[in-house]
Amino acid sequence: MNYLPTKNRDMEQRLRDEAKTLLEQGRVDYVIGFEPGSLKLTTTPLITNNKDDVNRLVINPFIVNNLSVYLTEVKGRVGIVAKGCDSRSIVSLIQDKQVAREDIIIIGIPCPGLIDLKKVERLLGKDRDELDDITRDGDRVVITVDGQRKEFPITEVLYDNCLGCEFPTPQEYDILLGESTPLVTDLAASRQKIEMLERMSRQQRWEFWEEEFSRCIRCYACRNVCPACFCERCFVEESEPQWVLPVPRWQDNLIFQVVRNVHVAGRCTDCGECERACPVNIPLRSLSKKTYDLVDELFHYTSGIDKNAPPLMTAYEYTDTQDFIR
Amino acid sequence: MKQDSQWEPRIVGFLCRWCSYAGADLAGTSRKKYPANIRIIKVPCSGRIDPLFILKALRLGFDGVLVSGCHPGECHYQTGNYYARRRIAITKKLLEYIGIEPQRIQASWVSASEGGKFAQVVTEVTRELKEIGPNELFADKK
Repeated sequence: MNYLPTKNRDMEQRLRDEAKTLLEQGRVDYVIGFEPGSLKLTTTPLITNNKDDVNRLVINPFIVNNLSVYLTEVKGRVGIVAKGCDSRSIVSLIQDKQVAREDIIIIGIPCPGLIDLKKVERLLGKDRDELDDITRDGDRVVITVDGQRKEFPITEVLYDNCLGCEFPTPQEYDILLGESTPLVTDLAASRQKIEMLERMSRQQRWEFWEEEFSRCIRCYACRNVCPACFCERCFVEESEPQWVLPVPRWQDNLIFQVVRNVHVAGRCTDCGECERACPVNIPLRSLSKKTYDLVDELFHYTSGIDKNAPPLMTAYEYTDTQDFIR
Repeated sequence: MKQDSQWEPRIVGFLCRWCSYAGADLAGTSRKKYPANIRIIKVPCSGRIDPLFILKALRLGFDGVLVSGCHPGECHYQTGNYYARRRIAITKKLLEYIGIEPQRIQASWVSASEGGKFAQVVTEVTRELKEIGPNELFADKK
């Protein structure tokens, strides 16, 4: 299947060449990238130390995972494929001293935005299995279904977080594949759900989250895909004191998620992985993006930009807001 | 839990052992009057406060949480209260966004010599919590 215009296929070939060279020259022990997934229109992470595997590496609009989550698990020097948000997560991990800059070779991809298959399904009223192909063409997307080509503006099918993307091209990289692509955004659409919540009354907002978290099964997928969640022992798994019950009751689910969001404040890069990972479709980005915006509003801080800056919560300014303190 | 004339708010106070805890002590020894609605927990520094403590207290049914530490520049560990300030600022805003009344999360700077201020803070916080009523946020409705 061919998801990409020629320019991107060149990018894919260059990625394979670079990855192969890195492994052959022994500059890295492992390469972390994406390979085609077992289902149509999906990809899956590829972690390999075998130079013959690099020909499976792909770049397409479905490379959704934030691979930086594997950095703390893979030993040795690593070459890693990173989109804009992923590279910021890597910078954030460097700031937190979870990984060393010299152990990582960042292979940056200028990211044109990722396609949300749920949006495609809603747009066409079709299941993803019924789609034949999806191709990106500039600011249009061409979807082939039942032998027919249908064209839509790309903003209709990009993920919400991609629509609000500020840094699609990695700022921190060793190798950059191609030039930065023009950014297609729709800031209003990217914050739509949050603004809907902000317009509600306090009581309605609480009931909204109660309803959402009643579905949570506490699989911890959101935490496990999050590169900012690197605690060796999470507070939800502590037994003395047992802060939250391990059974999924909405109250404890809500506390888990809210506290998790405060804990990752200043590390979250709005990559959207938590929401994608959720098996019961809880709009987790409506929490994480809000936290992200609060970090900006309160502390004028953007995560993952400066690898030499101290992490947000280990720093302070004398002028930090304190109008809420008596 | 129904609200009735007998209802009194219950408040958890996390007080820094170097300043506010001594301030509370001074309020007592100076015979200052303040509402008996606060249950005090001594912490080594306001920087010890995790947002989890605040949510856990509300989950247990407390009506409000007061975090009290040293004035900026007076932290026993130099910087603990500055970290606390950042953490509480964002916690309070995020909790308001998910639908918790902002009055339930309170903070103050009270030094060891400010017994009067401590009494005043507790009086004000108690009054505000009485206005918004009991915390039934985490009650099961079904």
